[in-house]
Amino acid sequence: MARVELKHVSKSFGASQVVHDVSLAIEEGEFTVFVGPSGCGKSTLLRMIAGLEETSSGEIFIGETDVTDAEPSDRGLAMVFQSYALYPHMTVADNMSFGLRMTHRPKQEIAEKVARAAKILRLEEYLQRKPAQLSGGQRQRVAIGRAIVRDPKVFLFDEPLSNLDAELRVQMRVEISKLHTMLGNTMIYVTHDQTEALTMADRIVVLRDGRIEQIGTPLGLYHDPDNAFVAGFIGSPRMNFLSATAQAGGRLAVGGIEIQSPVPTRFEPGTTLQLGLRPEHLDLREGPGLRATVEFVEALGSTCYLHATLATGETIVAERRSSLPRTGDTITLHFAPASAQIFGEGGERIR
Amino acid sequence: MEQIGERLGAPCFSKLSDLPMARSSLTETAVASRTRKRSHRSRRAEAIVAVLFLVPALLLVLMFRIIPLFWGFGISLTSATATDPGEFIGAANYLRALDDPNFRSSMVNAGAILLAVPFFVTIPMILAILIDQGVPGRGFFRSVYFFPAVLSSVIIGSIFSIVLGFNGSLNGALKMLGIPGVDWLGRSSTALPVTLIIQSWSTFGMGVLIFLAGLSTVPREMVEAARLEGAKMWQIWWHIIIPELRPIIEFSTVITTIGLLTSMFGLIYVLTGGGPGTSTTVPEYLIWTAQGRLNQPAYAAALSMILFAVTGILAWLQIRMLSRNANL
Repeated sequence: MARVELKHVSKSFGASQVVHDVSLAIEEGEFTVFVGPSGCGKSTLLRMIAGLEETSSGEIFIGETDVTDAEPSDRGLAMVFQSYALYPHMTVADNMSFGLRMTHRPKQEIAEKVARAAKILRLEEYLQRKPAQLSGGQRQRVAIGRAIVRDPKVFLFDEPLSNLDAELRVQMRVEISKLHTMLGNTMIYVTHDQTEALTMADRIVVLRDGRIEQIGTPLGLYHDPDNAFVAGFIGSPRMNFLSATAQAGGRLAVGGIEIQSPVPTRFEPGTTLQLGLRPEHLDLREGPGLRATVEFVEALGSTCYLHATLATGETIVAERRSSLPRTGDTITLHFAPASAQIFGEGGERIR
Repeated sequence: MEQIGERLGAPCFSKLSDLPMARSSLTETAVASRTRKRSHRSRRAEAIVAVLFLVPALLLVLMFRIIPLFWGFGISLTSATATDPGEFIGAANYLRALDDPNFRSSMVNAGAILLAVPFFVTIPMILAILIDQGVPGRGFFRSVYFFPAVLSSVIIGSIFSIVLGFNGSLNGALKMLGIPGVDWLGRSSTALPVTLIIQSWSTFGMGVLIFLAGLSTVPREMVEAARLEGAKMWQIWWHIIIPELRPIIEFSTVITTIGLLTSMFGLIYVLTGGGPGTSTTVPEYLIWTAQGRLNQPAYAAALSMILFAVTGILAWLQIRMLSRNANL
């Protein structure tokens, strides 16, 4: 187990810079998720920690050691790849023991460690099979087993569940979380799926265009985002953003109505803002109401999402748990102004 | 942001379900059968076009490979010469080959050449792996290595007979270092090895290209995983890359074997003429001598059939090995 710290880390490929001055500390035993859209630099950052990409500037510490220029194998890490990266010509047992065999560990130790990992991952009956004879989920478990046998200081996961089907993904998500509880190692997990991030992480690092947008706990990011990007990225369905205009007396014109501004900041009348409203906050019986025409009802069983259009032409998604309207109905979506979040035109949160 | 776009996009499509989509089942069946008929007809047209494209090549193969093969087998059982069709003499030509010391030494030479196959396969493989590791100037090495492959064997033979002649530039260079010159192509102990080295020089570029293509299919993440696990460079080569290249190694072995047994004629003709003695006489050179010099087409045909059988058996053995490992 170890702490991981990045100090002003940057990465460029030729003229294009993909990671910009990232500083970040991951505490011992923490499960940290790097999340962001494709091309945000999250995988590059993970590969830099692993030593598979050189660091253009800045320093990386694992424990007390500066590993910025260390070989990947000297960093005490294990990595699980999206493609599993299993060795197809070796059995499951040989795949898991590969690293130990290459570093000439005693046979007894290798056998014990493989047996332990196989037991944890319920792979005992597959040890003599080749990867081609396993299902996707089993292959990913072998890849995780290969990491476990090395007793790494830090586990790195690079989108490990992306190649699995939806059901298996949910199952593996739970398994990896359990594994973290059981082993207690520091884990860094990269994904573009905000649901994975929300459900697994102790702490989430949201990245965009190679920069950290916000670091926080899953619920912290959900309830108190620093900007419109984080607010929109975390949570499904995503937050509604409505265009708002400041009026005199601390009031805001939004979606054809006027409400009292939920924040103490005073705006010049006429200032353009964005009002962020989560779908689940639009299911009240009272409070200010937005008139909307229902376009589509998405019924998911326990809950439903109404896709509707406001008088201003903006679309809005609202959660409903009872009394479902039908397509074409005109409804009023009540909300408490205090549940709304205000963002400036550039997306920055105004508190 | 694409993710969010996808999420929002999904419900819009679902709106289509509100559109009147009902169609009578009768119409549906009619449409389906029409589509089926059309696709059936177009498939047949496609098949006819495919056959038309395949036929010319098939005719050429039949005319210049398959028919001559049987024809040659027929001739090998006669006493034909260039002017006289001769008469049926059974297996006499084959029995004569077994007694022919030239043929026996050509088979010994062929065996010696086959011993060189592992070098012909591993040298391009090692060079390809080195290039693939990302040496600077990868493209340069690739083209330089491939360059001899575009030269005709006559040109290569001519170049090397100048370089390797007793008064050639190699001996000149050795003399400057105080080493006495060697008649590389005129001594029976050196002629065959030197010829093989030249053959390997002129063909390894193709092998490098084949291995580079194979290496591009080795997943990069697999090598990275091994690096992270502490495997050293040679361990990664031996345990990961070479096993992954196995199908390429087997393919390369088969085509190299066939190539060495059937396409060294040009080089030998220009460099040594099969000599000194019979030290560089290979079966195909002997076939040419029997046919072109001694006017014994029937004997040449018998030798050809033997060479064909030997090459065929070797290729069959290798392909069997290849398909046995196909499930790896």
